[in-house]
Amino acid sequence: MGVLELIDLTVTHGATAVVENLDLAVDEGELFALLGPSGAGKTTLLKAVAGLHAPAAGEIRLDGSPLTDLPPEKRNVVMVFQKPLLFPFLNVAQNIAFGLRMQNLDSREQQRRIAEILELTQLEGLGRRRIDALSGGQQQRVSLARALVLQPALLLLDEPLSNLDANLRQQMRELIQDLQAATGITTLFVTHDQSEALMIAHRMGLLLEGRLRQVGPPRELFFEPVDRAVARFFGGRNFFSGYLEDGHLVTPAGRFRVPAGTANGRPLTATIRPEDIEVRASANGGLPGTIWRTSFEGSLTRLWVSCEDLELVALTPQRGCRRGQQVAVILPPEKLRIFPTDE
Amino acid sequence: MKAPGRTYPRRLLAGGVLLSVALPFVPLVLWAFSSRWFYPQPWPQAWGLRAWEYIFNTAGSQIIPGLMQSVWVAGLSALLAVALGLPAGRALGLYHFRGKQALAVLLTLPVVVPPLCVAMGLHLWFIRLGLTETLAGVVLIHSIFCLPYAVFVLWGVFANYDPDFEDQARSLGAGPWRTWYCITLPMVLPGVVVAGLFAFLLSWSQYLSTLIIGGGRVVTLPILLFALMGSGDRPVAAAVSLVFVLPALLILLISARCLGLRTATGVP
Repeated sequence: MGVLELIDLTVTHGATAVVENLDLAVDEGELFALLGPSGAGKTTLLKAVAGLHAPAAGEIRLDGSPLTDLPPEKRNVVMVFQKPLLFPFLNVAQNIAFGLRMQNLDSREQQRRIAEILELTQLEGLGRRRIDALSGGQQQRVSLARALVLQPALLLLDEPLSNLDANLRQQMRELIQDLQAATGITTLFVTHDQSEALMIAHRMGLLLEGRLRQVGPPRELFFEPVDRAVARFFGGRNFFSGYLEDGHLVTPAGRFRVPAGTANGRPLTATIRPEDIEVRASANGGLPGTIWRTSFEGSLTRLWVSCEDLELVALTPQRGCRRGQQVAVILPPEKLRIFPTDE
Repeated sequence: MKAPGRTYPRRLLAGGVLLSVALPFVPLVLWAFSSRWFYPQPWPQAWGLRAWEYIFNTAGSQIIPGLMQSVWVAGLSALLAVALGLPAGRALGLYHFRGKQALAVLLTLPVVVPPLCVAMGLHLWFIRLGLTETLAGVVLIHSIFCLPYAVFVLWGVFANYDPDFEDQARSLGAGPWRTWYCITLPMVLPGVVVAGLFAFLLSWSQYLSTLIIGGGRVVTLPILLFALMGSGDRPVAAAVSLVFVLPALLILLISARCLGLRTATGVP
C-alpha cells in the first residue's frame, strides 16, 4: 500500500505556477526526495498531495485511486510541516493521540500505539511533558511521531531538518531513515538541501523552475546529470561546448572519445566535476594553466585555474597550491559527462 | 532582572494606580452604609443598612429582575458580538485584501459617532422592524456598540495566529468542524474570553441606547440606577451603584485569573 502517482499535475500559488505538467511515480515503501531551490513552491506541491491546496490541473492517485476530490482527512496521507506545529494546549502524548482520537480509536489501543511510537522515536518518558518544555529536536520528533502513529499509506515531509542545528540534523536524518526502513511507509520528502536528499533518498527528483528535470537514484543525478542546469545545481562549474568529429568531441580542452550513438551533429556540452580534475605541479602532459585564485575548504582546496581558452574550477586534496603557480590540468576522459547543449 | 533601584518607583506607581481606581468607591461605600449625612460634615452622622433594606426588600421586586435583565442583555450581546467578531477578526487578521484600512475605519464608526446619533438613527429602523421595546432590539443595539471592540480584539488575536495549525489538524484526520472545535477554538480562546468580556462590560453599562430602543419596557440596572439617582435618595443610589459594579468587578477578576493561568500554561 502506498503507490503515489502524480499525473500531468499543475499546481499554482497565486498567479505563478509552482509545477507544470508534472508526472511522477513514487513506489511503495520508497523514500523519495524532491529537491529544489528554496522558494520553488515545494511546500505548495506537498499541500496539493495532502489535500490542503487544490491543484490547477492534473490528477493525484494513491494506490490507483484518485485523491484529487477527497478532503485531506480522508486521504490516508499525513503531512509533517517544516515547523513542528505541536498543539500548545496538549502535552506530548495528547499531541500524538490527536490523529488517533480523530479516528475514534478506543483508548487502550491509543495508549498502546502511543507507547510504541514514543519508543520508536526515542521519546520514552516524555509523554506527559508540556510542549514548551521540549527542545527543538524533541519537538520535531514529536511532530514526526504524531504522523507516524497513524500508519498512513503516504507520509509527506516538508523540510523536517531545516529548523535544526547541524548536530541534531544528523541525528534526525538517521532517525527518519531508520523509521522509514522500520515502518516501510512510502515517504515523499521535500528539501532544498542537496546533501540531505543525496544521503537520505532511495530515489530523488530535481525540480527547477516548475519542471522536474531528472528523476533517478541519487548517484545518477549527481554523476550523470542530463543537462547543464542539473549539473550546475549539484555543484558543476566546468562547462565547455564543442562539436562532434569522427566520434570525438572537439573542445578547447581537447578531443574526447564519445560513446557511440550520442546525438550526432548537435552542439554538445561537456562537464566535469571539480573533484575529478587532476592538477599537477609539473607541466608534463595535460593542459597548461595558471592558478589565479585558491580557497581552502578543509580537506580539499578549491582552485580556479585559467587555461588558454577556458576557466576551470578544481577541488584537490593537494596542499601547498598557491596563486600564480603554473600547473598542468588533466581531465580524465572517463569522468567527462557529455550532453546536448541547451537550446 | 529587576534592578533594586527601579522597584521602589514601580511600586509607587502601582500603588497610585490602585488608589486612583479605588478612591471613587470610598464615598460610594460610605453613602451606601449611612442613614444620615449632611453637607458640612466630613463623615456620616449615622450608619445604617436602610439603603440595602430598601434595595432587597422594598424595591427588591424591581432591582432583582433588573439585575437579571442586565445579565441577560449583556450576556446575549457579548455572545452575538463574539460570534460575529470571530469571522471578521479572522478575515482581518489573516488575509490581505483591498479596502482593509477603509473597513477598519468603518468598523470604528459606532464608537466614534456619538451613541445618541447611532441610537436615534437606528430607532426609526427598529420601529419599522418591530424591534423597539423588545429584548432582541436592545441586544441588537448593544451588539452594535460591542462589535467594534470584539472585532479589534479578535483581529489582534488572529494577526498572531498560525493557520498552518489547522492544515496540520486536517492532515492528521480532523474534519473541518472538529478542526475548528479541537484546534482553532482552544488556540484563540484567551482572546475570545477577552473580547467577550469587553463586550459584556460595554453592554452592562449601556444606558442611553437601552432607554431609546427599550422604551422603558426593557429595564436593565442602569435604567433603575438613573431613576433612583434622580429621586435624590443618595444612600439608595450608592447601594444600587455598588450592586451595579460588583458583578462586573467579579467577572473581571475571575477572567483575569483564568487568562493568567491560561498564559502560564503556554497558550499564546
